[in-house]
Amino acid sequence: MPRGRNVGYSLTAWWGVDLHAAAISSLANVTQTLRVLRRNRARLPLLLVLLALLALVLSGCTTDTPQNTFDTKGEVADAQAKSFLIAMWPAIVIMIGVLGGIVLIALRWRERDPNQPPPKQVHGNTRLEIAWTIAPAVLLLAIGVPMVAQIADLGREPADDAYIINVVGQRYSWLFEYPEEIDSEGKPIQTVNEAHIPVGREVSFQLRSVDVIHSFWVPKLGGKRDVFPCNLVTPEPEAPPTPHGERPPCDGGQMNILWLKADEPGSFSGQCAEYCGLEHARMTMTIHADAQADFDAWVKEKLAGSSGGGN
Amino acid sequence: MATVTVPKRSALAEALAGARHAADTGHGVLSWIATVDHKRIGMLYGISAFLLFLVGGLEALLIRTQLIVPESGVLTSDQYNRLFTMHGVTMVFMVVMPLSAAFFNLLVPLMIGARDVAFPRLNAFSYWSFLGGAIFLNASFFTRDIFSGELGAPDAGWFGYAPLSLPDFTPGHGMDFYALGLQIMGLSSLAGGLNFAVTILNMRAPGMTLFRMPVFVWMTLVTSFLIIFAMPVIAVALFELTFDRLFNANFFNTEAGGNPILWQHMFWLFGHPEVYILILPAFGIISEILPTFSRKPLFGYPFVVFSGIAIGFMSWGVWVHHMYTTGLGTIANSAFGISTILIGVPTGIKIFNWMGTMFGGVIRLRVPMMFAIGAVATFTIGGLSGITHSMVPSDYQQQDSYYVVAHFHYVLFGGAIFALFGGIFYWAPKFTARMFNETLGHVQFWLMMIGFNLTFFPMHISGLLGMPRRIYTYSDGMGWDLWNLMSSIGAFTIAASILVFIANYVYTFVMKRGREAGDDPWDARTLEWSLPSPVPHYNFAEIPQVHSLDDFWHRKYREDAEGNVLPVVAGGAVEVAHGGDGGGHEEAGHGIHLPSPSYFPLIAALGLPVMATGLIYDYAIVPVGAALLVVGLYGWALEPATEED
Amino acid sequence: MAHAATGHLETSTGLDNRKLLMWFFLASDCLFFGSFIAAYLLYRDRSLVGPYPEDLFDIPFTSVSAFVLLMSSVSMVLALAAIQRGNVRGMRIWLFTTAMLGTLFIAGQAYEFTEFYHEGLTLSTNLFGTTFFVLTGFHGAHVTIGVLILLSLFVYSLRGGIQQKDSLNVELAGLYWHFVDIVWIVIFTLIYLVQP
Repeated sequence: MPRGRNVGYSLTAWWGVDLHAAAISSLANVTQTLRVLRRNRARLPLLLVLLALLALVLSGCTTDTPQNTFDTKGEVADAQAKSFLIAMWPAIVIMIGVLGGIVLIALRWRERDPNQPPPKQVHGNTRLEIAWTIAPAVLLLAIGVPMVAQIADLGREPADDAYIINVVGQRYSWLFEYPEEIDSEGKPIQTVNEAHIPVGREVSFQLRSVDVIHSFWVPKLGGKRDVFPCNLVTPEPEAPPTPHGERPPCDGGQMNILWLKADEPGSFSGQCAEYCGLEHARMTMTIHADAQADFDAWVKEKLAGSSGGGN
Repeated sequence: MATVTVPKRSALAEALAGARHAADTGHGVLSWIATVDHKRIGMLYGISAFLLFLVGGLEALLIRTQLIVPESGVLTSDQYNRLFTMHGVTMVFMVVMPLSAAFFNLLVPLMIGARDVAFPRLNAFSYWSFLGGAIFLNASFFTRDIFSGELGAPDAGWFGYAPLSLPDFTPGHGMDFYALGLQIMGLSSLAGGLNFAVTILNMRAPGMTLFRMPVFVWMTLVTSFLIIFAMPVIAVALFELTFDRLFNANFFNTEAGGNPILWQHMFWLFGHPEVYILILPAFGIISEILPTFSRKPLFGYPFVVFSGIAIGFMSWGVWVHHMYTTGLGTIANSAFGISTILIGVPTGIKIFNWMGTMFGGVIRLRVPMMFAIGAVATFTIGGLSGITHSMVPSDYQQQDSYYVVAHFHYVLFGGAIFALFGGIFYWAPKFTARMFNETLGHVQFWLMMIGFNLTFFPMHISGLLGMPRRIYTYSDGMGWDLWNLMSSIGAFTIAASILVFIANYVYTFVMKRGREAGDDPWDARTLEWSLPSPVPHYNFAEIPQVHSLDDFWHRKYREDAEGNVLPVVAGGAVEVAHGGDGGGHEEAGHGIHLPSPSYFPLIAALGLPVMATGLIYDYAIVPVGAALLVVGLYGWALEPATEED
Repeated sequence: MAHAATGHLETSTGLDNRKLLMWFFLASDCLFFGSFIAAYLLYRDRSLVGPYPEDLFDIPFTSVSAFVLLMSSVSMVLALAAIQRGNVRGMRIWLFTTAMLGTLFIAGQAYEFTEFYHEGLTLSTNLFGTTFFVLTGFHGAHVTIGVLILLSLFVYSLRGGIQQKDSLNVELAGLYWHFVDIVWIVIFTLIYLVQP
């Protein structure tokens, strides 16, 4: 699997390689967590905390979690899950420190006797202030640096060989259009609420809406991108497919492009993530990632079907 | 203009002056309607905000009831959408902001040693226009047939994203009420912000230098400036929405070439400072409670103050983190990602200093302290979960999921509401002379703490499991059932804790069973505790001379070079504490010229919702509202602020 | 004008409460106009149908009305200077002059709006119509309120309500008036003069 090509992953060494890598998969797999636990006795306390959190997640995982953002099936989602963990680990450590500290201080120095005189009046300590200004700043910048690298990585234009699919969001369904698969009447094949994509190839989703703002989200493949209304400059049916990496211009609104890549075949569910009205909750979709051969077969069948009478 | 002739008194002016006199002397309803006393306005703010808190809470309970199981049919999607919109609008604009305003009003003049705010009638105007706006916006519920289940409230979310908020997609009047109602409440906040900025800068007692001000006053000052600069931005956004909705303008019309992202930029350019408008007053309250109950001065006072100022400045440079997924590009996302991460630094400074304050103290775990500690703890969790999705790539997954809902409830409920309840328990004795029941207070705290975490912690998980916000239902098989069930149980636990608070209120104040408070029940540090409880209407018989930070504490205790505490010789403290007027409050009060009550702020404020109603339903009503506004303003300008003897 | 609650007392900064309030309000108003101007600039040249600014703007005409508003600031300064010297009559004359110049500006704007309307530009024609009318309309509303304040002061002074000691009232009105004037200079420059 082509994991580890993004910067965030190499930085995981900072936080403990085994632990970090295991954390991602263990969010979907309890046995592996236990295995890591056995291997890393030294890090037991940290892992116990992780386990406490994961236990919560995992008890939910006894049922299916078709939109689990940690059960990643593509490199974009992988990178994003790792990005989360880069921030989550220090966050958990600090949380334990601060919350534990507050509770310990409150118990240790609680008033034992109503007549206890006031304590020594300490007004501050400049060195401490400087320390707890600089230390968090350094820590935060330390997680900020890999973040910027990841933003650049995920924010790049889709690869030249990316497979283009036009996505039209409309209240309350998703229309998928395959500009590279033109049928005998010169029209691209279309599907509603279900899309097929080839495995192992970047897919460039060109997102636009015909009404309000939606957001395209298939959690197992990657994070969301908002789908804005876009008043296309050229009338749509006659428009030639836009060259790769170039987005069609809008007179009003904007067009967003999101690239995703599935690492393995499967059906991945997604749904609209920007509130769009009455049936926002029902604006769901399924993305089927097929091996190239299966995908080609599906396209062929679809083309045959549409020229035989349309859909 | 006929009303300009007032120096020679007209019949109307005579009548009003008579009513004004009645209001001045009485304790009846009139005296509250015409009041310009900051303490009474503060209480009006507090009571109104609490009642609206119950409304917003009821909306939350309906939401959680609908989500308790998958595919439940308790609410229709239309009802659900209107309820979550109103829940957000209510809690932000009608609960946390006015509750903070209640504390500004009650405390700021007392803490800086003033007899009132700089502009008492403007203050009354702020309250009445807030109330008018709140009633106006909530009245939208009744614009459809509510008894057959058709709610008329706004339905495009509290964030009102265009183009969903345009009439093509949200027909009906709900969003008109939203745009105009928020406009009115925004004006109210702006008036309040201007008033408190001037009050704090200009009305301080002799010796009360800026760096002797309590942190709460500092946070009020920062909040006031945030309000002064943020409110015009949302005002413009709401005007644009209003023009689009009512007069067919094109600000957000993509057909005409507009881009709805304009709304998002303006909304969040206001919206992120707004977040700190909601939380900074809570920080101020925490910074007052922790020292009192640790019996130590605030650790690192200047650092707490400067970090608050830093947060105020930085809050203007992070708004795009609400818009990471809108496709603004890698450079914008990187820049705003870094600025968002870095806002954790001043926030962390505050948390560490609060811990430093408690460290080595003599900590009294009374109810206000429990709420303050609880607020620090839950806010810490909220802040840290904020860091996790300030990571832009990570936020691509969490944006608009329940993870974000968990985050901001940890910050705004866990941080703000907990601190505000702490403030209520802390300062209620000062204004009512009675103490809330301690046991019921602790019961409320623990119920609320457990209920709060039970409600909102599972939302982190349902969010990470891919549950989007603002969905009125979900199918089973998504793995979200358990988490939603937990959240719903938690929500009802919070409701139970609020019932305990109401019971405590009834026990303490209605049944009058609350213990007599005395003037300084907590052995506190700031000036307001030097006054009798309840605070006399003139506040200070003599304007105090301030010698140090925590001036009142230093009247009671001396500190040697090592920081050891020695009490001031007995008796001295009490005498100084009452400003040396030796119990003659009544006599002392007579020579003081206080601003007279006035009906004009109410009349002017009443004009605003009337005009708004006219804009929506019938332009013929608009001049009526405008006339009220003009009469109110001219009467206000021409009546003498202080009645002559 | 609102009177401060404790106007007799010294303030901590030495500035009168009302003056401080006015400065803060004007700071706030900067963001108000700034936001509308930003919206105008964002949508400049993005209208899909005409009429466009270059079809409508009559720069000489608007220059004259901008000059009128600019002159009203001069008369405002003279009104304040008069009352500060205790010259009530001079103040009345200059206050009235300022109000009339303001009214003239508003009349010019009304004429301009009517012309544009006859040329086919309305609030809903295109992005230009929307952003232009709302921005300049809000500015016009500010000027109108300013004129009302000035006329109120004028009438009030006829009844002896404004003496030398009350010069702050005139000063506050002046602050507001100059601000509105400056905003117009910005609008005139960015919207009328600087054409891409």
